[in-house]
Amino acid sequence: MTVAETHRRFVDPRFVPLALRNLLANKGRLVRSSAGIGFAVLLMLVQLGFERGFFDASLATVRQLDGDLVIISRSNYRFASADPFPRSYLATAAKVAGVLSVSPLYAAWQSFSWKDPAGDQSYLVQAFAFDPDHPAFLLPGVKADAARLKEEDAVIVDRRARRFLGMASGTGKTEINGRPVQIVGGFALGPDFMSDGTVMMSEASFARLLPGNRLSAADLPVEFGMVKIGPGADPSTVQQALEAALPHDVRVLTRPQLIAFERDFQADVSSAGPIFWMGTVVGFVVGMLISYQIIYTDLSDQLPQYATLKGMGYENSYLVRVVIEQAALSALAGYAPAWLACLVVYRAIGAVSLLPLHMTWELTLLSFSLTLGMCLLSGVLAVRRVIAADPAEVF
Amino acid sequence: MPLQVAWRMLVDQKGRTALATGGIFIAILLVFIELGFFVAVPQGGMLIYDHMRFDLLVCSNRYLFQAQSGQFPRARLAVARTVAEVKEASPVYLGGAKWQDANGGLKVDISVIGIDPQAGIFAVPDIERQSAVMDRPDTVLVDGATRSLFGPLRAERVVDIAGRRMTIGGVYKLGTGFLGLGIALASEANFFRMFPERPPDTVNLGLVSLKPGADPDRTAEALRAILPADTQVFTRPELAAHEVAYWTTRTATGLIFGSGLVVSFVVGIMVLYQTLATQITRQLPQFATLKAIGHTNRYLDAIVLLESFLITAVAFVPALGAALLIYALIRSETLLPLTLNAPQLGAVFLITLVMAAASAFLSLGGLRRADPAEVF
Repeated sequence: MTVAETHRRFVDPRFVPLALRNLLANKGRLVRSSAGIGFAVLLMLVQLGFERGFFDASLATVRQLDGDLVIISRSNYRFASADPFPRSYLATAAKVAGVLSVSPLYAAWQSFSWKDPAGDQSYLVQAFAFDPDHPAFLLPGVKADAARLKEEDAVIVDRRARRFLGMASGTGKTEINGRPVQIVGGFALGPDFMSDGTVMMSEASFARLLPGNRLSAADLPVEFGMVKIGPGADPSTVQQALEAALPHDVRVLTRPQLIAFERDFQADVSSAGPIFWMGTVVGFVVGMLISYQIIYTDLSDQLPQYATLKGMGYENSYLVRVVIEQAALSALAGYAPAWLACLVVYRAIGAVSLLPLHMTWELTLLSFSLTLGMCLLSGVLAVRRVIAADPAEVF
Repeated sequence: MPLQVAWRMLVDQKGRTALATGGIFIAILLVFIELGFFVAVPQGGMLIYDHMRFDLLVCSNRYLFQAQSGQFPRARLAVARTVAEVKEASPVYLGGAKWQDANGGLKVDISVIGIDPQAGIFAVPDIERQSAVMDRPDTVLVDGATRSLFGPLRAERVVDIAGRRMTIGGVYKLGTGFLGLGIALASEANFFRMFPERPPDTVNLGLVSLKPGADPDRTAEALRAILPADTQVFTRPELAAHEVAYWTTRTATGLIFGSGLVVSFVVGIMVLYQTLATQITRQLPQFATLKAIGHTNRYLDAIVLLESFLITAVAFVPALGAALLIYALIRSETLLPLTLNAPQLGAVFLITLVMAAASAFLSLGGLRRADPAEVF
């Protein structure tokens, strides 16, 4: 090694990754500090994940609807609310230019009582009915098993429904509203905060099972009109034409508009959002405390080294930069294992709670920014210690 | 005396100690809040029962929880009244309906509770004061916690409930619990005006009050013996256990707040450990000096353990105060019955002590580094 190289490697600050070396100098300390910051990250990720999970669960059904446009009663305030309109509207809609097909979706939230096949207890479930030739949902299981719904009193069920409903197998016999039904298949949807499980069936079965119903399938009031538009037709043009052609007591929404409609409702009434946001803030504050303590302890341990650097003539600005860099690296070292651990935690909690907990880019970015923010802030708070380092004290 | 040394070390650097106490304060507060949610969120299902006067609840054998209560023949209440200890058995009717402003607009789901206004069912001053209002035809009281979606909740406003024109007679403050977005309270007569298709001889809940001195458990047994299998009987503690178990185990509630509690505990240990480790690092010269004058490692360990307990005990008091404040805030915002009872307080204190001990043991490693030779 030449003198110049030696000088470059050990003296010239531009080439010494000092922050990284400080971080790696003591492996035990690195593990401890990563664990501390990692736990705060995990706390934030879990709280953020719950917040998203609650939201996603309440939007899961709407997101699976198969239609370019949806006709819905104007007075309806949320997806899962019975507010039907006359079936005759669908014939009007079918005549509008650009409309390829219109099919009805029937729904009930308060009138289908499902008996646990393995027990005696009955529970309210969410029920949907549609023409088996035009299944109203994108769910693969629905598409696959819809044809079998033409059989009398056949239903398909949500395999991810709450377990006490006994829907997981997707086969067997049970009763709905006291009438025997045959389970002919299943799909994976998951419960939300309104319903523990979902059943789907043909219009004819729905008309038979609906309590106190005296209407034939053809006269049932419709909850949603699922509109598909022809190839090349412009959704917003067709939407306007439909609005003009249909009576004023219904409106026509695009799929994204329907999802936004439901999201607004959930955001408005749910008290889950504030609870989990508070959890995230607490995670951030706790993370701040932990990372401040860690960075402060690390700096105290390394004070002689910093004082030595100062004694050698390095500026405070250089030392501050090293501390901040080290804080950023600590954030990364704590974040990476916590992110990986979180994948396991999401999977475990998701399987037990049936909440859709998924790691997304958005969650990753948000939680990483929070982590970086708390570590940098702690670094800034702790850096005074280094500025105050007195070379004379070391020797 | 290690205790005196520990105390001296803490008061020597008041600023630093205050900072450390602040960290631990947050950690304890976190445990308080998570435990509060874990206990209180499922209790939301008890909110309405908690404000009803009864000793025993008679309900359908299909009863799941308050919002899915099922119905049973009204005649069962007459049977219940034949039991000697029973003073009164009052029916409660529950129904779901659409609420719409008289001038149109959104049709929002509302829960309707039907009661005899004179039976003194609700121990809510607003309701008792307005019992005569409920007797007016086509008049309801509405819960003040009914969501803004329902429009202004002022007296004399006319709305459609289940397609019938009703007048808001007044507002009361109780909270909607887990019964839905809004609640309207009606007299029996008004209830059946809104739900004309409902058979008048079935009820949802039977509230049984007992004569003074009667034993609830024994009377419950007597009622179970006399009533047919289509009904079941709960005492108040049994009902509370049933409703809380429903929300804790049948929904994601228990898991979510349970995991929050576990995480808060782990985070608490981390915060405490980091704080203590920092303290020890800062006091290393003092510890080294103690070693140099001949004190054993055990003595130093005792000091650290005592420092840990002292600092935690000091942080516990303001954490308790802040928790009570936050509980009150959340209570008024969400109407969740977030309260602090003795077992909860004890649990948090115990958890705190365990956290303090665990983190003290974790940070003893740093103490071994205290080397008298380095100090001088």
